[in-house]
Order: sequence, then C-alpha cells, then structure tokens
Amino acid sequence: MLKSTNLFKHEYYNIKLLRRNVSNNDAISPILTNRNPRNLEKLRIGYKPDGYHLENTGRSFWHKLKLTISGRYISASIQHFENGKVIRASSNEWALRKQLYSSTDYSAYTNLARVLAQRCLQMGIIEVRSDIEPTNPDGKIAAFLKTLVENGVTLTEPPQFKAPRPWDLTREEKPWEVSTQ
Amino acid sequence: MAVSLQKLCLLNNFNRITNIYVSTRYGHHLRGKPPGVARTLQDRFDELNKTNPEIDFKVDIGYPPLRQSRSELLKQRIQTTKANRNSPELEKLARTRKLNIDLDDVHKEWLRTEGPHHIKVLADHYGVYQHLFGDAFFLPRVPLKITYDYLPVYYGNTIAPSEAKNKPMVSYESDHKSLWTLILTNPDGHLTKQNSEYVHWFIGNIPGNDLEKGETIIEYLQPFPPKGTGYHRFIFVLYKQDKKIDFTPLKKEGKRLNLEDRTFSTLDFYRDRQDFITPAGLGFFQSNWEKSLTEFYHNVLNMKEPIFEYDFPPPYIRPQEWFPLRKPFNTYMDKYRDPKQINKEFLLKKLKNVHPFKAPPPPLKYPNAHYINGYVPSWLKLEIRKERMKWGRINEIE
Repeated sequence: MLKSTNLFKHEYYNIKLLRRNVSNNDAISPILTNRNPRNLEKLRIGYKPDGYHLENTGRSFWHKLKLTISGRYISASIQHFENGKVIRASSNEWALRKQLYSSTDYSAYTNLARVLAQRCLQMGIIEVRSDIEPTNPDGKIAAFLKTLVENGVTLTEPPQFKAPRPWDLTREEKPWEVSTQ
Repeated sequence: MAVSLQKLCLLNNFNRITNIYVSTRYGHHLRGKPPGVARTLQDRFDELNKTNPEIDFKVDIGYPPLRQSRSELLKQRIQTTKANRNSPELEKLARTRKLNIDLDDVHKEWLRTEGPHHIKVLADHYGVYQHLFGDAFFLPRVPLKITYDYLPVYYGNTIAPSEAKNKPMVSYESDHKSLWTLILTNPDGHLTKQNSEYVHWFIGNIPGNDLEKGETIIEYLQPFPPKGTGYHRFIFVLYKQDKKIDFTPLKKEGKRLNLEDRTFSTLDFYRDRQDFITPAGLGFFQSNWEKSLTEFYHNVLNMKEPIFEYDFPPPYIRPQEWFPLRKPFNTYMDKYRDPKQINKEFLLKKLKNVHPFKAPPPPLKYPNAHYINGYVPSWLKLEIRKERMKWGRINEIE
C-alpha cells in the first residue's frame, strides 16, 4: 500500500568539488524512508479515500472541516479520514467562554473561526475540505467560513497526484517540484 | 461417405440443441448478498484494521495533571460567566458584531486547560510518540515556548531550513532548583540507517529555564532535509531530571559534522534513564528542502548533495497473452518491453537530428499541418503525429 511506506529513491548527482577534508558523509543508503505520516499528504501523493462513487459526496478528503451546532454551544473540528478529529475548538472550552458574551451568537461563530484558524496554522494543517454550505449568505455559518478564510485557512484541498503511466498522453506537473522552486 | 453423413447428423443435432433458449438469470448471484446482509466497505476496513486491546495499548510515561479543587474552579468560572452576561460593554460588542477576543490569552488558557490533550491527539496524528517512544506517550504538561529569531515553533508548523540556521530561544516555566534536558531530533531523515534519528541539539542538566547554563552535549545543527524527500519533523522534547545525570558517554567535543556521530534513538536514551527523567514538554515543526541547502551540504557537511525521488509503485499491467485479440500490435507490445529500451530509442531518434554546433530548429508552429510524404501505414502516421504533438511515451525523454 502506498500510504504506509514512504520510500524515496536516490538519484545521481555529480558536482566537481574541491574537498577540504574527507568526511564519511558521502556513504549513504540508496533508499531513504521518511516516516512522517503527513508528508505524502502535504506533497499531494498520499492516498485519499476513493471508491464511494455511489454514495453522497464528501468522503474523499485528507482533512475536512466539521461544524457541530448544539443548543448551548458550537464546536468546530478538523477531521482526518483515518485518525478522526485531530484539531478541535469549541465555544464550550473555558479558554473561549471566558471572554465570550454568549456561546452561540454571531460573535461566538466568528471568534470560534479565529481560534480554529489559529490552531490550524500552528498545527501545520492549512488546506482542508469543507462541505458546509450556508443557507443564509449573511448568517452565522457564512460568517464562520468567511472568518476562517480571512485568517489563513484554505477551504479546498488539492486533488491527489497520481503517478503518470508511461503510455499516458501527457504528464502532469509534479507538485513537489513546483513548491520548491 | 458414411463418415461425412455421420458428421452431418452430429452437426444437425448440435444446431438443434443450441437453438433451445434456456433462461438463466445470473444477476442475482453476481451481485452478491443483499444489502444489510453483505458487509459494507467500512465493515471490511474495520475488520482489516482491528486492534487487540491486550497488545495494542499505550503506556503513559508523563506527569499526571496538577490536582485542583473542582468545586472552586467551577465557582470561579460561574462567577466569570455571570459577570460577562451582566457586562453591558461586552453585550454591546457582541450585539454589534465587533467582539474580537484576545487570541494570545485564549492560547495561554488553552495550554493550561485542554491544550495538552489536544496536543497529544495531534502529536499522535503526526506519529510523534510512535516514532520516538514506541508504545509510550506523554501529555506535554510544561508548555514550551520556542522561537527562531521571529518564527515560533508550535506543533507541526512549517519552518524553512534557512530560517532555522541559528539555535532558537527556548523558555518554559520552572523553579531554579530543578534540572532539565532538551533534545531536538529528526526521526525522518537518517541517510544510512532506517528507523533511526539524527540528533540536532542536546542540552543536559539545565538549571531552571536558563539554557545558557546547561551542559551542551551536542551542538546545534540546522535542519537539512534532502531534496525530494518532502517534509521532515523536527521534534523538541523537554525532560525533567530528578537528579544530575552524567552525559559524558554521549558527549563529544566539536561541531559533530560527521553525521554518523549524530545517530540517536530517543527510545534507547529514555529506556536507559527512565528512572530519573520524565518527558514534560513537546514542540515540533516541519521542514522541507530549499535551495540554500546545496551550499550547506557542500561547504559544511562536506558531501555531495543527495537528491531523492519518490518511488511510485509500478502500474499494473495484465499478464501478456499469446493471442491478444483486438489489441493494437504496437502499443500492446510496448507494454511488455523494457521501458528503458523504449526511452533509449526515442532519445537516439531525437539525437539523430541534433547538431553539436548548430542551434536546434524552431519547433513546428502547426505540427499536424505538415504533410507526411510517401506511403505510410496508418499506425505509423499516428506515431509520427504523437511525436510531433509530444504525446505519450516521448514525454519520458523530453
């Protein structure tokens, strides 16, 4: 399976270099394993769930935004397709409630979005999928989504990069080469 | 004559049998069990990823939470919320949609209350505990404040190697008597040994929170994720010591630019000293290759710059058939040839028209408008067109 192994093959690289002193650093193994489980997702080549074509859309994501509204408070979380809720914030949390007037009003929604966006940036998850569609364009939920975007969270995820097969018509640009330029 | 007659009879019989229509409905069997009885994809995944709670459990090696009187805490909280509800200024701000709460204060309060639990979940998401401590975990009870010049390190944010050239400022709350150890490791980028770590910074026996007075066991080395390997985790772990520990077996003078000397295993380190150290603080960032690292590899590490590329699994190609029906002979056969040989042929063809001293001819403006001279079979025409349009396998060498 692609998702668990994270193998990188060593390629050629030659540079004429005047060595000042000899080091043993050059003897390296041809295969390096990056164990960071989020790495492939960040490089867009990790596995994204697929195969639920007959069901409602919304299953194909690495990270997804979820908003839960209850009578007393609201909670927002970022869900991973395997690990569940990984980032969470709620107006029920003491850190937020301490400064809020009400935990369900308009300000609660916008401030919850600000806190969630701050946590997302601190935790390195900036692009998330969002299936939330506000019914009222001036309502609380629309304000929540707008504040999230304003504070640096992108509410769409790029598609998974699939390796081109030799007989494919064209070659898609490699995402990791674009980002390092 | 007799033989041919018999043949005729047999044929007749055969024809008669085939003409009979037998209605068979295979659909019911092909579709499998009905929904409700058949397992869903989710059920199948759950069965595959089933864990045994007797074996797959994690051990808490950290500190327990500070004991706090719950009733008193609740009293205070109710008081604050009531005061908020009765505050006309706050109400006005909230109703006019101008209430912006102080995010720094939220962060501080969060670290004091739910923060450690949230960070633990996230660190699990990043595989931090799994790759450092195996089957153990800890809650980061002591909040670490790490800053590179102006960039703070939180729990997985990205910092470029050039921004982390100098050692960061680290602070945490502590009394003057206690001793601490701070270690920065990278579990993702070991160049020779798999499942091993490089230690980037190691300070032991830190009195209080004054890092300058601590014993530098291993000098700071900036992150150097090789090109093509993606994002590496750089993890700071703060341990609290019960007594002064002798780190001389790990200590080595100098900058330790021989990477083999920086091989480290947090699990082994912890296992040997688990009676006197307890992990208390956690912070980590991610870093990817950037251009400035080429110079670092050449001048500081004195090595050729390693370049890696992700090894994609090869595409599935069904077994070759003796008599492939309705398959184009050229593309079908190409699938079972050595791809390197095909690429070589394309390259040789290209090099035939390359002159060592003359500039290459300009690319065709309307590639398919050029007439193909003489009789050329249609499959070859298609190949020529594909070459002109840069479609298909020619992309492997372009």
